Amino acid sequence: MNKIGPPLEALLRRLADTPPDFLDEPRIGNTGQVFVPAVVNDLLAKIAQRLPQAGLEAFRGRDASTDRNRLLLVMIMVWLLADEWFADAQLPIAEVLGLLNQTARELALSTNAQKFIADPDRREELARLSLARLGFRPEGETPEQATDRLSALSVTERNRLLDASRAAEARAKAIREQLIKKQAEASADKWTRE
Amino acid sequence: MDAGIDSLKIRDQEYCPTLSRAGQAMLDFLREHPAAPYFRNQSGNRLLAEEVAELREFEQIIVSAKVGWPQDGKPEWLESFIAETFKDVPYYRSLGPVAKRFEDIPTISRADLASDITRFVPDSVPIERLINFRTTGTTGNPLLIASHPLVAGRYLAFHKRALRRFGIILEHGKGQVGVVLLGMQKKCFTYVSVTPLMDESGLAKINLHPDDWFHPDDRASYLDALQPEVIAGDPISFSEFLSLPLRLRPRAILSVGMTLSSGLREALETRFQCPVLDLYSMNEVGPVGVFDRALDGHLLLQNRLYIEILDSQGRPVSEGQRGEITFTGGFNFCLPLVRYRSGDYASLKWTPEGPVIRRLSGRKPVRFFVSSGTWVNNIDVTHALSGLAISQYGLHQRRDHSLVLRLPNSAMMLANTASTRLAQLFPTQKITIEEIVTDGKVLQYTSDLPQDFA
Repeated sequence: MNKIGPPLEALLRRLADTPPDFLDEPRIGNTGQVFVPAVVNDLLAKIAQRLPQAGLEAFRGRDASTDRNRLLLVMIMVWLLADEWFADAQLPIAEVLGLLNQTARELALSTNAQKFIADPDRREELARLSLARLGFRPEGETPEQATDRLSALSVTERNRLLDASRAAEARAKAIREQLIKKQAEASADKWTRE
Repeated sequence: MDAGIDSLKIRDQEYCPTLSRAGQAMLDFLREHPAAPYFRNQSGNRLLAEEVAELREFEQIIVSAKVGWPQDGKPEWLESFIAETFKDVPYYRSLGPVAKRFEDIPTISRADLASDITRFVPDSVPIERLINFRTTGTTGNPLLIASHPLVAGRYLAFHKRALRRFGIILEHGKGQVGVVLLGMQKKCFTYVSVTPLMDESGLAKINLHPDDWFHPDDRASYLDALQPEVIAGDPISFSEFLSLPLRLRPRAILSVGMTLSSGLREALETRFQCPVLDLYSMNEVGPVGVFDRALDGHLLLQNRLYIEILDSQGRPVSEGQRGEITFTGGFNFCLPLVRYRSGDYASLKWTPEGPVIRRLSGRKPVRFFVSSGTWVNNIDVTHALSGLAISQYGLHQRRDHSLVLRLPNSAMMLANTASTRLAQLFPTQKITIEEIVTDGKVLQYTSDLPQDFA
């Protein structure tokens, strides 16, 4: 976070104004319209250089249950990074790819991509995290202030997610146990049995 | 009263929480009749008093509900159902935001449910009263379906809707038997219960396999003594049912679980002088439709079940084209489904009475090679053999193009006729007959030939 980045408000506004096109369905298998590797490559062309397809394989959707939310988030992040400020910042291509691949993957695991547009805290988290992973901090903040604020946002969210994840695991276990109980196997009356 | 009977009756109360003295008398009658089979299990409706009241209201809604959706549109409940499901169900939540177009929502299949059913149970459903229905399907992969006594109880509303179409309004109540569910398996879950919504009419789930009876002749005596208003079963059990010297006159017969040939349906209708309803029903979604000869297909029964027909790429096909039946919605609040690919194939046709499922066949279509160089679809084979009263059959094509027709022992007398009919489709190919030795269902159509070339 040693380098000074753009004003945070500008990025937050940009995220809030994400055009509907960037929320179109990512292509996964035979469904969806947006071929995300091409969208990423357009961004790379704008801020650095195009990549051969092989370098963009991580953005190809294969399984909706694991890829859809992630690719939706990648598209939102592409919109964020397409801001003129980033185009002029001469970002290293590896760092941009790392952000779009690794960071998007981490965030999408537990948070609905739409929230990074609609929820003010998640919007701020995405903007700050993107800047931090690229080595920047918001304009007007010291490195300490930027670190503290990002960590506060992330810790709260991480704790919330941890609780939610524990609760989900416990519930799944309880459902599993209930379903395999002998009583549950004995089932209940239906007038026909398939 | 000895301790065994005592504990049996205590458990009756657990399985049937609203059981009255008359209801208990019905259970005793069903169990203690001199010709009664060995009941292997104990179960019941499990309905609480408030749930019985809830079911009554549900039934009122279903019997008169409008079923279907505009030919060029979607059902009006769909959007809010999808929004709620994406919020409340862990699996759908993990997909991210709801897609803008319904058709862009990823489909799911049986394999998804089998891999972890818990992710499909909504967060808002209390766990304590969950029950399961186990299904092996035609692929043999077992699957536990999360359900609830209320969901099981809701089946009756759809049966009543289907029966009404055939002019039947159920009447049996206290002191009478409402339904007997037939099985014909070496090992079968059998028990007795009562139906609170029908004033505790009796319900018996029995196995016609002789091993479950003190004497095989008891089967007819018992069924005649019960005089059930409805008989439910599948074509395998009906085949055995037809062989019994019965005097009973059910008001309707419900067939589920497998394709009912027109020959077997006519044999049942002639013998029992009552309508035979061929229901398309599956554990995952319950009763979907009832076959209507005038409409030449299964008329839909559920008011909150949306059906798409999809091609192998997951794209909706146009009206009349065959594809995989894909469900959204349903009445099982423990398992709300969004774009569930059922593994069954059919086309959808709009009629003045609403959408109708046409030319239904379980599993992926199989094509059979004809020596002249053409291919025959399994639907053509179904048509060729449909007039024969055969409970089930299997047709297999070997690599050398020869065919094997598998028939149950009870249908062996029809082997020549069946073979002749098949020869009209495959005039120069060798057709051999084999007996089905397994106890359960067989895969109807199989082939050693690759299915991806024509």
